Amino acid sequence: MSRRPFLWFLSTQLVLFAACHTASTGGKKQFFVAFSQCNNAEPYRAAQNALATKLWGRYRDVKLAISDAQQDDNKQIAQIETFIRQKPDLLIVAPNERAPLTAVMSEAIRADIPVICLERDILEPNYTTFISADNRDIGRRAGQFIVDYLSKKYGRPRGDIVQIRGLLGVEAEIARNDGARDVFARYPDIKIVNDAVADWIQAKAKDRMTEALRANPHIDVVYAHNDPMAIGAYLAAHDLGREKEMIFVGVDGLGGPNGGIKKVMDGILAATFVYPLCVDKAVEVGNRMLREPNFKPDKIYTLHSTMITSLNAAEAYKELTFDN
Amino acid sequence: MKTKVVNTEPSPPAVGATPVPSSHRVNRVPARRILERFQALAALVGIILIAVALSPRAADGSNIFLEAGNLTDILRQVSVVGIIAVAMTFVILTAGIDLSVGSILALSTSVVAMALTRWSPPLGDTGRIALAIGVALAAGAGVGAVNGAVVSVAKIQPFIVTLATMIGVRGLAKWLTDNANIDIGFGQDVPAVFAAVISRKAVVIGSLLVMAAVFWLVLDRTVFGRYVRAVGDNERAARYTGLPIGRVKIWVYTLSGLLSALAGVIYAAENHQGNPNAGIAYELDAIAAVVIGGTSLMGGKGSVSGTVVGTLILGILTNILRLNNVDSNVEMMVKAVIILLAVTVMSRRPSE
Repeated sequence: MSRRPFLWFLSTQLVLFAACHTASTGGKKQFFVAFSQCNNAEPYRAAQNALATKLWGRYRDVKLAISDAQQDDNKQIAQIETFIRQKPDLLIVAPNERAPLTAVMSEAIRADIPVICLERDILEPNYTTFISADNRDIGRRAGQFIVDYLSKKYGRPRGDIVQIRGLLGVEAEIARNDGARDVFARYPDIKIVNDAVADWIQAKAKDRMTEALRANPHIDVVYAHNDPMAIGAYLAAHDLGREKEMIFVGVDGLGGPNGGIKKVMDGILAATFVYPLCVDKAVEVGNRMLREPNFKPDKIYTLHSTMITSLNAAEAYKELTFDN
Repeated sequence: MKTKVVNTEPSPPAVGATPVPSSHRVNRVPARRILERFQALAALVGIILIAVALSPRAADGSNIFLEAGNLTDILRQVSVVGIIAVAMTFVILTAGIDLSVGSILALSTSVVAMALTRWSPPLGDTGRIALAIGVALAAGAGVGAVNGAVVSVAKIQPFIVTLATMIGVRGLAKWLTDNANIDIGFGQDVPAVFAAVISRKAVVIGSLLVMAAVFWLVLDRTVFGRYVRAVGDNERAARYTGLPIGRVKIWVYTLSGLLSALAGVIYAAENHQGNPNAGIAYELDAIAAVVIGGTSLMGGKGSVSGTVVGTLILGILTNILRLNNVDSNVEMMVKAVIILLAVTVMSRRPSE
């Protein structure tokens, strides 16, 4: 009996040793870049990670660590705290939600760590620089695309729209919603008949869309705030045999066989909006922050989007599909 | 003794299982409890030693794991689940389970955030904060009391009752907030003051320690604590000796709801928002901490100190894996293996 617990503890040690790698530090200066990602499970974020790994990988003297918070705010706060303990040369954060991550990022600033806030905003400017994409503009352009489509379909701007939204605590979500509503407000006969929340997840969107389909005998447009949710909505409509009744509009426009651009080429999505990964700008600015001590980055960098429809999908696909 | 007649279980009675006159108390029993706690502590010491060994070093050679900032980080990070686990110990000691703790936490964050941002009673800042916290705690305790009442009066299994509450209360939280998060800002207004004060490391860690101390005292030094063990160890015997089983059960679930609500108040302050989707799967983390600490899911055996140790073991484990930038998915698999190993060790008690 007394030997067994000892053997178990020994195996515990072995398991932990196996899991933890002890990195060897050479004589050269190694930069440590820490990237706190909010949710690897979203394709957009997986693409960000892949691009970040590829771009940072070009520098031999940069070690990159990516943590996955799995859409849990508390986990992300704890992961950033632990990164701070390791004193990285650069911290990049893609915040899961605005309010919860604000305080911990000020901790990083206070610890003299340069912080890049990636793509999603927080409540206070607790970062060295914020690289964002103009989501309100995306919302407006999506709204305009939908208005134009409905005007063509009915001869005048009227129609029923189902909106499928992401995590409500995210600035991008709020902006994509507000931008579209800015446009719809001018047309009283264009109505949002169902406002569903699917947290950016395809499976949830399929469930919400099924409910919307049962509740509404006629739907003209589905405006989903990211491509996976648009695809989920399409699948739900397809299951009920109603996919030809409506068009599907998404946001993200990723390349590759699983991305939104291919779906536009296949006729599943009527349009999508390329949502810049923001990573290339982050690596460009971040690299300068690491190597040029006098470099002061802008407080905010705003990147713009491109609309993808059947007219330009093939071109865009070639341009935006990286070999990962 | 009546226990000999009705006791058909192979396990020996735990300490204070039935109110026995002191002249009959078995001497061996305190030793067993020390051994239980010793095993959990030994595991904790083991994990700490491993963590120190595997910790990366800072530029000046110091051990990052042992930095005061990192150690207090760990304590802060485990506090929310730890507070839930402390009360969960009581529930599990009665051979019950409470799956609704995560949903009660979500309800509590939503209620406290709503009370702070939408009510303006003429009470002054401290009064408003106290009122908001009080209402959240009352909501949690209320749900807990419902759990307890259904378990004890309708005699439905705790797993099923709290599973239903878990779903229903989550729905309630989402309905109250219209499925939106309620932001608590960073300015000077009352909600911001609440967040600034309650999210301080000292307050969060202090809450865990105070709750652990209080519950340890109640379990070890009060009659109620002995009743809790008795109900879990052998409910039939406890009923025959006339213990107020119904009331005990209602109380343990009420306390579980109350502490889940307290955890929710802290969560709302730390995250600066009321979030009806918070706390998903927290019940599993709490149960894991309780079980690693040596409490048996069959009831009757366990301790609050064990739960605290179990909570710390999980926190340190997570911390050392993160300090070494282990992939999150590998982290989950490693945790699963460690939990199984720890529970296997804990469950091997020396037989009579």
